[in-house]
Amino acid sequence: MNLKLLLQPDCTKVIADCKSKKKILEHIAEIASAQLPNLSSIDILESLMNREKLGSTGIGNGIAIPHGRIKNSSKAVAVLLVTHKGVNYDAIDKRPVDIFFALLVPEDQCDTHLATLASIAKTFDNKDVLRKIRRAETDLDLYNIIEAA
Amino acid sequence: MEISRTVTIENKLGLHARAATKLAQLAQGFEATVTIQQADKKANADSVMALLMLASNQGKDVTVIATGNEAKVAVDAICELISNKFDEDE
Repeated sequence: MNLKLLLQPDCTKVIADCKSKKKILEHIAEIASAQLPNLSSIDILESLMNREKLGSTGIGNGIAIPHGRIKNSSKAVAVLLVTHKGVNYDAIDKRPVDIFFALLVPEDQCDTHLATLASIAKTFDNKDVLRKIRRAETDLDLYNIIEAA
Repeated sequence: MEISRTVTIENKLGLHARAATKLAQLAQGFEATVTIQQADKKANADSVMALLMLASNQGKDVTVIATGNEAKVAVDAICELISNKFDEDE
């Protein structure tokens, strides 16, 4: 699955600062709920929080991939949130996280989900892309970086 | 000395984010350099990002390759984690 197809222009956000993991997930849930009319941001937040309880999605190098499975939906929704200041996220390498690529996926799409995770990893394994993302000043900048990646 | 063994991914979700994180955490604990190979793709087992790029789904064979003082225990432990479905139910 290509990230460009997954990420809608309204789903990228640059914020200056965020105090906690929960606040980050609240932002993400808020943005995602606009794309998922059947779900409230509270439902989405719960799904993301439940996943974090099983173990942090902070995969290292300042990147986290919060995700949740959603019912009654056939489409996957992605949100890219970047904070100027890193947030303590219990990441695998203990480093603060400043790039959050969140994913809400329909239940029972195992192989598609793996392919999506692989393309996220591939995109964020690129140092040039990471540098650009960290320098992005507007929401649209972020969108354009992924679009061009 | 290099130690390697091939195991099959048995859990339903495959090498997804949580499974990859468990594997990386385990691999990081050994005095060994561990690589996971699937067909022609290789990943550093310490890196969740690299492991996710393998997109290993249920039924795929992966080879755990290790070098270093603790190569054998590392291969044993990682193969056990994979064979035990990463402690997942299905």
